[in-house]
Amino acid sequence: MPVRPPPSSPAHLWTLPGGLTVVFERRHTPGFAFDLRVPVGSAHDPAGAEGTGGVLEEWLFKGAAGMDARALQDAFDDLGVRRGGGVGPEATRIGVSGLRADLRAALALTADVLNRPELPEDEFEILTDLARQDIEGLEDSPADRLATRARQVAFSRPPASPYAGYAHPASGTTDGLDALTPQGVREHLTRYGQTGSVLGLVADLDPGDALALVEGTLGGLRPGLDEPVPAPFHAHAQAHEPHPDGEQTHLSLTAPGVGPRDAHWLAWQVALTALSGGSASRLFHAVREERGLAYAVSASPILLGGHGYLSAYAASTPDRAPETLQVLREELARLPQGLTQAEFERARTGLATSVIFGAESLRGRAHALTRDVALFGHPRSVQTLRQSIQALTLTHVNDFLSTYDPTRDATTVTLGPSDPTPHPDPTHA
Amino acid sequence: MPEIHHHTLDSGLTLLLEPDPDAQTIAAGYFVNTGSREETPQDMGASHFIEHLLFKGSDEVGARELNERLDDLGGHANAFTSEEATVYHAATLPEHTPELLHTLTELMRPALRDTDIHTERGVILEEIAMYADQPSVRVTDQLRADYWGDHPLGQPILGTTDTVTTLTPDTLRAHHHARYGAQRVTLAVTGQFDPHQLTQWAEHHLKDWPTGTPTPHPDTRPPTWPDHTRTLTDPDLTRVHLAATSPGLSAHHPLREAAHILADLIGGENGTLYWTLIDTGTCDSADLAHLEYQHHGTFEGGFTSDPDRAPQALATYRQVLRDAHTLITPHAVRRAARKLAVSTLLRAETPQGRLFTLGMEYLATGRTLSTDDLVERYEAVTVQDVQEVLRLCPMDRLTVVALGPISEL
Repeated sequence: MPVRPPPSSPAHLWTLPGGLTVVFERRHTPGFAFDLRVPVGSAHDPAGAEGTGGVLEEWLFKGAAGMDARALQDAFDDLGVRRGGGVGPEATRIGVSGLRADLRAALALTADVLNRPELPEDEFEILTDLARQDIEGLEDSPADRLATRARQVAFSRPPASPYAGYAHPASGTTDGLDALTPQGVREHLTRYGQTGSVLGLVADLDPGDALALVEGTLGGLRPGLDEPVPAPFHAHAQAHEPHPDGEQTHLSLTAPGVGPRDAHWLAWQVALTALSGGSASRLFHAVREERGLAYAVSASPILLGGHGYLSAYAASTPDRAPETLQVLREELARLPQGLTQAEFERARTGLATSVIFGAESLRGRAHALTRDVALFGHPRSVQTLRQSIQALTLTHVNDFLSTYDPTRDATTVTLGPSDPTPHPDPTHA
Repeated sequence: MPEIHHHTLDSGLTLLLEPDPDAQTIAAGYFVNTGSREETPQDMGASHFIEHLLFKGSDEVGARELNERLDDLGGHANAFTSEEATVYHAATLPEHTPELLHTLTELMRPALRDTDIHTERGVILEEIAMYADQPSVRVTDQLRADYWGDHPLGQPILGTTDTVTTLTPDTLRAHHHARYGAQRVTLAVTGQFDPHQLTQWAEHHLKDWPTGTPTPHPDTRPPTWPDHTRTLTDPDLTRVHLAATSPGLSAHHPLREAAHILADLIGGENGTLYWTLIDTGTCDSADLAHLEYQHHGTFEGGFTSDPDRAPQALATYRQVLRDAHTLITPHAVRRAARKLAVSTLLRAETPQGRLFTLGMEYLATGRTLSTDDLVERYEAVTVQDVQEVLRLCPMDRLTVVALGPISEL
């Protein structure tokens, strides 16, 4: 299914009377993709009711508009569409892609799920039990356990916040699930509406027709609520989670980075690409290529509460883990010395190329449009973004990096048979 | 509709080109007709080890420079090893086509230096350790070992800690020399490029590719397929991870698409396993898929559950498979066929997505099927076809492996 190049005309951005932001890009293709982002994520779970959003998202698909769970799933399947999405820390997403003739029906079904869910009482206990099973399943995966522990240490909940925040997985916590009631979860649905929500849509439609289609299907969505949850970061924290019989020791470093609306955003992206963007990147080279210490090593950005954070990960067998951690820290600590011209050029090319790759598939483009509007406040055309990346200079990036040492405030969380940190400090655990 | 160009170069290397003037990128891959299936028990892991070593550079270009060149393409280069295929691929913007072809080709001429083998051995041992911590991988490895018996398709692709520790540089070089000859290699290219220029380039630059040895005939022995349930006890796990398998159809089989539809009816996202095991809360995952090899196939699936629910879950799982004939209705078959056809179309929307479908199909069957061909094959499937799959592949005898904090099941 060839997808024609994106037109030079920029994406269209509209706000429906009810508050939903719609961002549309026309592509000459037989397919369509949309990505609806509702600004309610697991961080919005009420404190003490962790798992509310995760259970609700599953419950929504247990029937809508008079259809039972099976009829609803069959209705999506009859369209042949591919469905994606899920609950993230800050938002819940519903993504659908398929053939253009089925777009209206797919939008209408999505609206039914959000606006007219059945929320059958007899499914509630099953869904909370499935969430409990999912949490226990995370216990069987060292990498998932580490990720959860790292969130708890770096982003523990401020005691005064009414929200559960970022310290738990979307499935919740055992205690949180025990505290859920059908009524409480139903009330949570009132947050899911047009306010703060963004629909990214890519299809071969006249823009006016696209707008009319979205208004006719999603325009009746309830108002909803958009309340960002702050993510206070706990610098310098350190913790080790024992995993006596594990094959490897897993390492996680979290450090402050740059937010999407900060002037240094792109410079930070270039630095992260030089650090972990490919097989010649610093971490891959130093940890894997040069020393053979690990198979998996990476650093990636995470965005929480409007801020950016660097999250680095590696895993090595226990006796090699201290060296892996040391090399990881050394590589992060030498960022202030700046990139070389060659590293800069390579990272910039990688970043610019990834923009094209990211926009190539309909699903990728719909997701990027939604993300742009949610994070940056406006869609970024492929061409403009490439130009901005091309306009970066080594001086700019290195000026930014000269004061950017992620290890200065980093939290370190490890999981494995032994603590790989040089000076284990139990007072911080 | 893009046209597929299929050439055999004088060296014996195959060239498969599917240009698409509307694409925004170009993707290329060397598809090598070799994999873990060809390894002796002592050499397990050799194919995967070689895949890692190709990224260590050639006689002319060192590892660091090779990796830099791959990153210069935009960071979309990678490789994978399976039982029957080893694939090296990259994608970039059309203006970097010469660098893409030169770099990917340089990758295929590895120096296989002793020092690189030593360093990379450590990386692979870490990779084995990583998977050994993942219950789903542990249970699948044991399942395949039990199902295939001493058939090489049952060997772990990564090898074991012992074999990877003891594979010598000479053994690895011998494997590479024998199995990377021109007759085994297909260069597939999709996306935006000029097929005539690309053919000229290939005729010039790939003409001296060494011959190597032909792909050995696959081991056509049937699997052992024991009718048993093995339990691997691990008191540190919280859940039971169960996997089960039974015979399916090969990649060549005319009813291959019907087999995928049957797997979807039973174990797809809207399949009966979902409604009987997940929707009821018995399991938090349950599925079934159809896997194809060049001369074999399997229906492989499983579930995860609480330890005390595992016996009931397994009984239900078996019952669903035994009653699979009741699921094959005209409406259900049409719905599943449409979903799989649309998925095929969506996968083909980028050159990278299309590259794998084109290259893997050719490696497995020698056929060059267009996206339209693939879609039509799904649309043509009838109720009778799916019923015939079930007749050929009865599901009442399963090889089962369960891993978790239980002593038996």
